[in-house]
Amino acid sequence: MTTVTAIDDRSHLSTALDQMAELSARSIRNSLRNPSGYIPGLVFPLMLAAVYSAQFQRALGLPGFPEVDSFLDFILPASILQSVAFGATAAGADMALDIENGFFDRLLTSPVSRASILVGRLVGSAVEAALKFVVLLAIFLLFGASVKSGLPGVVVLMVVSLLLAIAIGGISLVLALRTGSQEAVNASFPLVFSTLFISSAFFPTELMNGWYQKVAEYNPVSWIINPVRRLVIEGWSWTDAATAIGLTATLGALTITWATFALRSRLRSL
Amino acid sequence: MSRPVEATGLVKRFGDLTAVDGVDLHVDEGEIFAFLGPNGAGKSTTVRMLVTLLQPTAGSARVAGFDVVREAGAVRRAIGVALQDAAIDPMMTGNELLQLQAVLHGLPRSVVRRRGPELLERVGLTAAADRRVGTYSGGMRRRLDLALSLIHEPSVLFLDEPTTGLDPTSRQSLWEEVRRLNDDGTTVFLTTQYLEEADQLAGRLAIIDDGAIVREGAPATLKEAVGSPTLRVDVPAGQREVAHQVLLRFGPNRPCREGRVAVGLDGGAAQMAEVVRALDEASVRVDHLELDAPSLDDVFAEATGRRLEGATE
Repeated sequence: MTTVTAIDDRSHLSTALDQMAELSARSIRNSLRNPSGYIPGLVFPLMLAAVYSAQFQRALGLPGFPEVDSFLDFILPASILQSVAFGATAAGADMALDIENGFFDRLLTSPVSRASILVGRLVGSAVEAALKFVVLLAIFLLFGASVKSGLPGVVVLMVVSLLLAIAIGGISLVLALRTGSQEAVNASFPLVFSTLFISSAFFPTELMNGWYQKVAEYNPVSWIINPVRRLVIEGWSWTDAATAIGLTATLGALTITWATFALRSRLRSL
Repeated sequence: MSRPVEATGLVKRFGDLTAVDGVDLHVDEGEIFAFLGPNGAGKSTTVRMLVTLLQPTAGSARVAGFDVVREAGAVRRAIGVALQDAAIDPMMTGNELLQLQAVLHGLPRSVVRRRGPELLERVGLTAAADRRVGTYSGGMRRRLDLALSLIHEPSVLFLDEPTTGLDPTSRQSLWEEVRRLNDDGTTVFLTTQYLEEADQLAGRLAIIDDGAIVREGAPATLKEAVGSPTLRVDVPAGQREVAHQVLLRFGPNRPCREGRVAVGLDGGAAQMAEVVRALDEASVRVDHLELDAPSLDDVFAEATGRRLEGATE
């Protein structure tokens, strides 16, 4: 009797893993089939980086600006995280579309494990983030940017990108599950956008002033960007690596938990 | 042995709105059961409760022997569902959707490899299997949806308005497929707003109006219960009242399209000569006159006092 249960449990688990893999594959495949979804997320940060490094090259000499070889090095982490963050909101937008057109109901009338509905989307975001990370890093290196902490720093930057994609993907899923509307999810885009800009992402907070500086200093984006950037422009530091990964992981854990509750309450309210 | 579908006192309220108001119904093993009613009558809401997408406000239902609330997982494993508007991801291909659907039902990949091509063949989509669904016609989408709902060989199949919006040819081919499935032993629960669909397919049907079932039985039995055939007469606008008075001597009023008068002809076809004489005596000019055996439309009209929208008269 015990053996039977054990086998049953294992097949249960492998079925659930199968479902997660299949739903993740669907997210990734659909993203790849829709270039208008990911191309702006790649091009825009690159353009911004090009414009800023031309504009602010001389700002490097200002007192209070961290010591860097080029503005490109300074802006590298922000550009990558910006691209990743924008892409991740697609998780929620796509799920909202599923809810709107009824595909979500197809999932719910099947005995699919409910967790895999969320996991499929989040893995999709993470894989998209990984691909963007590779492409953007390659382009930056090609144009002469460098990562002072070397390979370990690149790995940390990659892990932070993936975790950030999951964290922001999680928030967008909450919005999708709460509203069931793609428009509502897309409406959150400017929020992500301005949160990123009122931070230390593109300029050091030391050179800001007034309320703007205050907001930027307390912005969690700055807490993540600062240690990651130090890895890029200064060199390896265990503290910086742990801070960046720890913060994004915590954020991710929070938003996933929130999304899980949102899914549960959506299912209950039906 | 419990029935494939059994519902008792099902109620669904959304705020102040009562969408389904105490529905009792059952479907027997191996039959095609049609749930007929106009838009907004509560058909889809009822189906959504039966397929575990909505929780009843009151009442209970068992599908494939399991309670739809307490044993929702078991219900989902046992049923096939094709919901209204064939919700299919347009970015995916037919094959990819079959594969996904199979995995959602926990089937091993070997099953998809065997059953996938079989099902596509069956619904005539073999050639389109690797095309994105976004390029499919409405009829193809419905047929793919049907194939998807069959991948795990369900014992009960729910089809929510399977042919709404389809052209007559696509409708016919879908009907044939549903009949074949039923011949192979699948119990089918379908909702429709088309009288003809219910008439053609259903062994038994229930008419729902305003959230409650108003008639239930085999189409033939229901039509017989209406009894007399319907006589419809077209007369010039000014004479409609007079004509109506004359006709009411021969039987009860029946609802009909604007600009016509209709009654149930108690004496049947034998009375026609008498009717024509009476109209003539009243100096009514008859433009057109027809006598039809009772139809499901008459059943619906008698039960609700209205004609089903879009019904042919």
